[in-house]
Amino acid sequence: MGIDDRKLDALRSERTELENHYIDELVAGRLDRRSFLRRGAVLGMSASVMGAVLAACGSANKTGGSATQAGGSSSSSTSSAAATKGGTLKLAAETPATAINPLIVDDAGGLCMLAQTGEFLTLDNNLKTQLEPSLATSWKPNGNGTVWTFKLRSGVKFHNGQPMTADDVVYTFQQLADPKNASNALSTFQGVLKPTGVVKVDSGTVAFHLEAANGNFPYLVSSDNYNAIIVPKGTDFAKWGKTMIGTGAFKLSSFATNQGAQFTANTSYWGGAPNLDGTAFTFYGSQQPQILALQGSSVDVIVQFVPSGAQALLTNAGQYSIIKLKSSNHRELSMRNDQTPFTDPRVRQAIAYSLDRPAMVQALLQGYGEVGNDSPFAPSFPSTNTSVPQRTQNIAKAKQLLQAAGHSSFTTSLATEQYEEIPQLATVIQEAASKIGVKINLKVETQSQYYGKATFGNSDWLDATMSLVDYGSRGVPNVFLSSPLETGGPWNAAHFNNKTYDKLVAQYVAAVDLQVQRQIAGKIETLLLQETPLVIPYFIDGLTASTPKVTGLNPTSTGQIFLQDASISA
Amino acid sequence: MSITLFILRRLGLGIITLFILSLIVFFAAQVLPGDPARAILGPLAAPSAVKALSHQLGTDKPVLSQYGTWVGHIVQGNFGTSYSYQQAVGPLLGKALVKSLELATLAFVIVVPLGIGGGVVAALNYGKPIDRILSVFGLTATVIPELVSSIVLILVFGLWLNILPISASGGSGFGGTIYHLILPAIPLVLVLFGYIEQMARAGTVEALNSDYARTATLKGLPRGVVIRRHVLRNSLLPTITVIATQTGYLIGGLVVVETIFHWNGIGTLLLNAATKKDFPMLEACVLVIGAIYVLATLVADTTFSLLNPRIRYRGVE
Repeated sequence: MGIDDRKLDALRSERTELENHYIDELVAGRLDRRSFLRRGAVLGMSASVMGAVLAACGSANKTGGSATQAGGSSSSSTSSAAATKGGTLKLAAETPATAINPLIVDDAGGLCMLAQTGEFLTLDNNLKTQLEPSLATSWKPNGNGTVWTFKLRSGVKFHNGQPMTADDVVYTFQQLADPKNASNALSTFQGVLKPTGVVKVDSGTVAFHLEAANGNFPYLVSSDNYNAIIVPKGTDFAKWGKTMIGTGAFKLSSFATNQGAQFTANTSYWGGAPNLDGTAFTFYGSQQPQILALQGSSVDVIVQFVPSGAQALLTNAGQYSIIKLKSSNHRELSMRNDQTPFTDPRVRQAIAYSLDRPAMVQALLQGYGEVGNDSPFAPSFPSTNTSVPQRTQNIAKAKQLLQAAGHSSFTTSLATEQYEEIPQLATVIQEAASKIGVKINLKVETQSQYYGKATFGNSDWLDATMSLVDYGSRGVPNVFLSSPLETGGPWNAAHFNNKTYDKLVAQYVAAVDLQVQRQIAGKIETLLLQETPLVIPYFIDGLTASTPKVTGLNPTSTGQIFLQDASISA
Repeated sequence: MSITLFILRRLGLGIITLFILSLIVFFAAQVLPGDPARAILGPLAAPSAVKALSHQLGTDKPVLSQYGTWVGHIVQGNFGTSYSYQQAVGPLLGKALVKSLELATLAFVIVVPLGIGGGVVAALNYGKPIDRILSVFGLTATVIPELVSSIVLILVFGLWLNILPISASGGSGFGGTIYHLILPAIPLVLVLFGYIEQMARAGTVEALNSDYARTATLKGLPRGVVIRRHVLRNSLLPTITVIATQTGYLIGGLVVVETIFHWNGIGTLLLNAATKKDFPMLEACVLVIGAIYVLATLVADTTFSLLNPRIRYRGVE
């Protein structure tokens, strides 16, 4: 099917310069259909416009049907066409570690609760690997990406009956970005957004004036930034957990600290009443009892689990539905770039070459992950430059590098935390290093010991010669690129100091165009391979399990689960 | 010294013990790495957010001032507000304590008669195969970690045979609660059986070989009467002490069992409080568990002294 130039020209006339640039890239074949949809969504192009563009380009029959499952997902459709109505879905979730306060929540259990009743301006739909409208229907950057304007959905009401307007959105983001508040969103908004930058344009429009250009800003107001649920203006965040008033498809019915929570369907939800009558979450302190509860039919769904220790679910194909999400959840092995022998990049490279990554993914993650290439550009990010060669195990080369650096054998130490498969990973790294003559003494600590005060000089995480840490999933790599790797970054455990890198990251963050982002990503990936300030051995898939009678689940790799389309058959 | 004075004196000492305990826990917790605000917000939170939360919680004040505030509240019967959950400590702790007591009571009701009965039977059959079997079984059961026995019990009775519920928290009503607590109580019974059985056995063997038991037998009393009137009454004294000292473990030390069987008792609350440096919750949990220890020991000592007057008067000799 050919290109319908007449239709395309008509569509182009109403588009911005950047949007037309993406249409050019699509026509020229430099952007595939999926990438066009993803980037178009980030720029705020509506689904109907993107569909019309694709139709004009001869891809009409493929539009609107983007994957209902993650790559490689073995089950669970998001379709609700034939969904059963009614019933209560029973879910197992991690026990929230703190009060359900949208400002301070930072754990999987807590952020899962926020997303039960709260909604975001945009939704990072991990199943479709696409940014979607939620409380904002469209958004646009100015020419250089320093101002982003969001049009809000009309007719949305909070659970208390109050309509949602720009005032609520402005209040929410001003609180989240205020350095005087105990806000966890500050780790995302620092250097990006100040409270004064959140401006009401009219009752249905909000503009964000950023401190610096940011091409991925719509992700920072999405479900990725899990604190950013929209609450009514004037909300006392400390008391929000008692009512959990949001705009979502479910309303709080009851909440028992450390035990569980019940929600009922919001029949006046803007997206239509959900299929379920309600949901019942039971909180668990660890993964094993959740698996037993699913096996024993006490629950229908495990919101999120890791492969380690979950063989009972992963090996019983057919008995359970497993949703697999590609994610940027990863481990970082940093080496002190300012301490011998790791001052020499060859020594750092040698450690990286000693690792057999595919074997690690198989042994530690039961295959539910992807190998890393020592940069935070996960395969799941659209901007990742896949033309950069993958680093593979090469013992001979590693020994050669050590010899050339004058450190053919040495002893060092590695500090890490008791968390998921990390202690086993540390042992695997220790064994691999021993093959090239490097003896590593392990120091495996509790998380509070390891992180300490989380500031330089007061934290094994940031001070140890080698340090192995976890990073949760994000929709864009911005935070991974800045805080742990930029000169003076607050999480820079490698003490990496490279001006070229800093400049490249600034360029990357400011770039609005995907091709430009990919181009800069390629340079960053290459530089990180040469310098190897840290090793990223793999990225871990997000996993959700349910019984086969459950359909329509929409989990995220961060730990949220959206249930408006979920249903359960008898 | 009268029994009332004895109890009052012990209660007074108990309060001093709890005060010292609160001091130790408070100041020991200060040397743990990290701070409460950082523990709540997570390692990746911005320093300004940590500072703001520390100020809200009052943890940026000097340690002595924090302790003084806490003691001031306690004296008024107020356990304070949990840092993590931002709720009053009292009701959260109360619910968890009731749950812990339910599980501990069931475990005691099963293990005490079994342990004492086992010990007496073993002693009466001293050196015979049944004695060996009971001792080996008791010691083996004691050293099996609760984690292992719990998982095996869940797999066998919960999943394969499917005759007992694997989650302790699903039951309602007296019968339903007990039915759901059977499986989690068994690992505790296994751990405690060996201790109690060995103590009861040793006490009974000693009493059986004592002069008074021999005299009673030589007097021509029937064996049953000798055992009931002379042996058991004396042999169980050390066993009572062992049972009392296990109370603290059963109330506050069941993190593994509580986690696996999904039973939100005080053990899990205590562990979370320590991990999150939630001082008000941590102190309250420790004090309650400490008070239970003090009371259990007092009950044991009082029982002991009632049965053995020499203990009662030791203080004035």
